[in-house]
Amino acid sequence: MNKKISDERLLEELEKRFFTTKNSLNQHKELIEQLKVVNKKLEESEKLKSHFISNITNEIINPFASILGLSKAILQSDQTNWKQVMDMVSLIHSETLVLDFHLKNIFTAAKLEAGDVTPQYSRLNIKSFFEDIIKEFEFESQKKGLKFKTEYDVNLEKEENFDVITDVEKFNLIISNIFSNALKFSNEKSTIFVYVWKDDNLICFSVENEGVSIPADKQKVIFDRFVRLDNNINSLNRGHGLGLSITKALIELLEGSIKVESKVSGNNKFTVTIPEPELDGKSNTDFGDDVFFDNEVF
Amino acid sequence: MTEINNTHFLYPAALVASKEPMLINTILGSCVAICLWDPILKIGGMNHYMLPFWNGQGLASPKYGNIATEKLVQKMVQFGSNHRNLIAKVFGGGEVIDVKHNSFNIGIRNIEIAFNSLNEFSIPVKAQSIGGNNGRKIQFNTLTGEVKMKFIARSDKAIPLPSIDIKPQKP
Repeated sequence: MNKKISDERLLEELEKRFFTTKNSLNQHKELIEQLKVVNKKLEESEKLKSHFISNITNEIINPFASILGLSKAILQSDQTNWKQVMDMVSLIHSETLVLDFHLKNIFTAAKLEAGDVTPQYSRLNIKSFFEDIIKEFEFESQKKGLKFKTEYDVNLEKEENFDVITDVEKFNLIISNIFSNALKFSNEKSTIFVYVWKDDNLICFSVENEGVSIPADKQKVIFDRFVRLDNNINSLNRGHGLGLSITKALIELLEGSIKVESKVSGNNKFTVTIPEPELDGKSNTDFGDDVFFDNEVF
Repeated sequence: MTEINNTHFLYPAALVASKEPMLINTILGSCVAICLWDPILKIGGMNHYMLPFWNGQGLASPKYGNIATEKLVQKMVQFGSNHRNLIAKVFGGGEVIDVKHNSFNIGIRNIEIAFNSLNEFSIPVKAQSIGGNNGRKIQFNTLTGEVKMKFIARSDKAIPLPSIDIKPQKP
């Protein structure tokens, strides 16, 4: 049966249908735009990945070459000349530290991407901990004539030691990466300021260096993997672009946060806060009976 | 049934699969955990992701749903499972914090990606407890494929982690 409708109704209905089609078209367009953005990011990531191979080759081969050369020199050296041998040994030691740092970073990144990282908490003395790490960077900083200035705003009144509970290995890698970054991008003969303090159960530290300021729009990108702001292959600053993305992932694992402040003058400040874990672990109150999801029911 | 002594606490953004019988514990808020079980080999694995999609930021870790599910399936296949045999149970995605803006509904988006990606691998979802306003505490037995779940009362604090062991201080 044909039902007649008035022209007005027809127009109205058509308009309504056009409107819905237009709406869904718009939504499509929006989604496509989003896809394009993601696609572009993936393309960039792929490109950076191939850059990464050449960067990492330098990072690993340079220290290796010096270790090989130095150890050969020791083997051939006059054995009575201990001073010279010791100098070379200390050079080997510092190169090994550099190599160890890079390898740790790469393995940690691989582990993080495999979802294979869990925090292992233990107690540590925060003052000697920072001092030990700074010592590891001594040689690198001397090369650029840099100085570290540290300040501890922790309650040292009662005892000189200051103990905190955190994941030692991951905390170490977080600090090392931020230090290494500060060293790399500092002006020569400047000072790197390190402040360490504690706010209730938050372990906080900030690292401030004089260098080139990071533009506001780039401040988020620096935590992406394989990203180096100075992506020129001939750039003076070496690096694989993994450091800060690992740092951020590790800080998130320990439920902390990282903040970047950059002044136009070129002072960059990274502030990290990491909470100490709650020891009792009973703060979560579950209720009700266990709900079973076994296999027979389905 | 034999006792399983092998327990593992699964942290957010991590995943675990085991050939040996294992009890996997985790605590979920707006995160989603997918338990995969192979009824033939009697092995299982679980992921625990926080956000739906990896958008090129940071590391491509199992913090993101699309990556976490793919990696978990890969791991099960590595252990000898045929992905046609696998079954899934999906938990979490609650709105534990009040949100005013719709696009911040991370829980719901996390759930969506769970079903989408499981669908891609044609893995059937045999059980689920998703959404709602509460957190969840679950325990997955990789030998039997059973999951025990308890709700957690809402709190303003972040989902707390379990008690920890402190190693003795190094001399």
